[in-house]
Amino acid sequence: MTHALEITDLRKSYGGVQALDGVSLTVPEGSFFGFLGPNGAGKTTFINILVGLVRKSGGEALVFGHDVEDDYRAARDAIGLAPQEFNVDRFFPIHEVLEHKAGYHGVPASEAEERAAEALQRVGIYDKRNTRFDWLSGGMKRRFMLARALVTDPDLLILDEPSAGVDVQLRRDLWELVTELNEQGTTILLTTHYIEEAERLCDEVAILDSGRIVTVATPAELKDRGLDRIVVTLREPLSVAPSVLSDDERVESIECEGNRLVVTARQGGLIAPTLVRELDRGGFEIVDMEIARTSLEEVFVELTNSGVDRPENQRDEGTAADDRDREEAPLVTDGGAAAQRGRSQ
Amino acid sequence: MSVVDRVAARTPLPTGFYTLTKREILRFVRRPKNTFAPAITNVLYFSVFGVVLGARVGEIIGVPYILFILPGLIVLGAISNAFENASFSIFHGRWNEYIHETLTSPLSYTQMVWAYILSSAFRGLLVGAIIAAIGGGIISYLYQPVPIEQPVYLLAFMLVIVLLFASLGVVGGLLATDFDDLTMMNQFILRPLVFFGAVFYSLEDLTPLLRDVSMLNPMVYMVNGVRYGFLGVAEVDPNLSLFVLAGATAVVASIDVWLFKRGYGLTD
Repeated sequence: MTHALEITDLRKSYGGVQALDGVSLTVPEGSFFGFLGPNGAGKTTFINILVGLVRKSGGEALVFGHDVEDDYRAARDAIGLAPQEFNVDRFFPIHEVLEHKAGYHGVPASEAEERAAEALQRVGIYDKRNTRFDWLSGGMKRRFMLARALVTDPDLLILDEPSAGVDVQLRRDLWELVTELNEQGTTILLTTHYIEEAERLCDEVAILDSGRIVTVATPAELKDRGLDRIVVTLREPLSVAPSVLSDDERVESIECEGNRLVVTARQGGLIAPTLVRELDRGGFEIVDMEIARTSLEEVFVELTNSGVDRPENQRDEGTAADDRDREEAPLVTDGGAAAQRGRSQ
Repeated sequence: MSVVDRVAARTPLPTGFYTLTKREILRFVRRPKNTFAPAITNVLYFSVFGVVLGARVGEIIGVPYILFILPGLIVLGAISNAFENASFSIFHGRWNEYIHETLTSPLSYTQMVWAYILSSAFRGLLVGAIIAAIGGGIISYLYQPVPIEQPVYLLAFMLVIVLLFASLGVVGGLLATDFDDLTMMNQFILRPLVFFGAVFYSLEDLTPLLRDVSMLNPMVYMVNGVRYGFLGVAEVDPNLSLFVLAGATAVVASIDVWLFKRGYGLTD
């Protein structure tokens, strides 16, 4: 079976700094794959190697079986990229920019006109077709970036932080559109800071930190790795924690706080019924129970904060890729912002 | 879809290559000010050097001075524009990063380079033709119709010099780190070479030493070749000039392709 991406030991160094440090990854054809990572993790460098904007220092990258250097034309033809930065031809009205882009991919002029119109209609800015890119609003510019990626009818659509700085409506439109494309068979590679976005859309996510893959898993699997918190409120206060769930390896801790019993464990939702049964058998009367499931965001922060063999210079020295990534929009959720603050402390 | 598109669709021209070439030509056709600005400059050249000063100079190699300088001014306008177009287009694309639209496409590096070269060479020819029309009109009105003694040579020399300078413009566009570099290349390299390239004087008027030094200037061969096309008089063997210039064009265009393949100035 041909995979959309087969990446083996991919490396990129800028001077003495490793932007990518042996990334190996497989993205199945037709999947919706998320690429998560903090600023400077190497996400944009990874994408730019695929499309030929960054030269790899080592390793191998295949796009639908085509090497990105030896067979670059076939590899690039398969990819539609909506980059984070606005790198659009400012000389021409946007419909012509799309026609040119389609033409570069071998689409004849008559068909390119039709495709440009369809792409603009699809992202909802057809009425702006004769406008130059500079005159579009911020949201329209973001929509246009998607239209440009779609006009070549790519097998692999790469979205680099597509919803950075966009409003709620546009984000939802975007989610709807990419979900539809994925259902029609297009493989999607999404890099994002928005954990909610990855959780909602992706079949599988890879977490990248300091140029290394920390883990690859489904969002559900990742959440299962995090610690949930079950808070049981009892009728009577406790002086010591009751002996419950003693054999369950998923349980990390059980603590008493007055009449509240706090259990910290993985897969809290699965543990809760057993906990209730054992408390009931022990004669404890339960008046309330609350399960706080771990969020993917918390797992993400935990994984990327662990400092997996991270050389000091990767934290302190800047690279071109780092600089680009640092310009990315900050996290929008409070938890995410807290995560960012946590990293900088 | 334009008529040109329809015609192109019937040819074996690769669509990607055709589209990029078209885009590059449309870029300057839609903004004609810069392309037609040399018309004004050259009216001034012809008026001052040809009409006012030319009357005092008299004839050089048997033709009125204004006719003598016509080939040189055509070369100056053509190569400046061929060079500027390629260097500006590539550098502007790099500066604003929209060259990524081309680089991330399945065009071969050779196709990318030749699209830039051909569109820029076309602009050089266009400007050369504008200058020829203006100069020819003035000379015909004041003196005599402008002869074209060797039309094949004229065409061959014009083609090869605009291709050569468009190819050099690609290198310039890749090497430049800011817009000042582009201005500098034109003002401090191209123009001095042209002005000391026997545009306004005959090599016969120079001392032997200066004549020998001038022969190191590639512009001498270009101006001489185009002048041979018009007047049928050459101070240097036109066949040798054409051969050397064609060879230089092939070498520089190959360097362009190599630089694109290597990603010089284009990729991190």
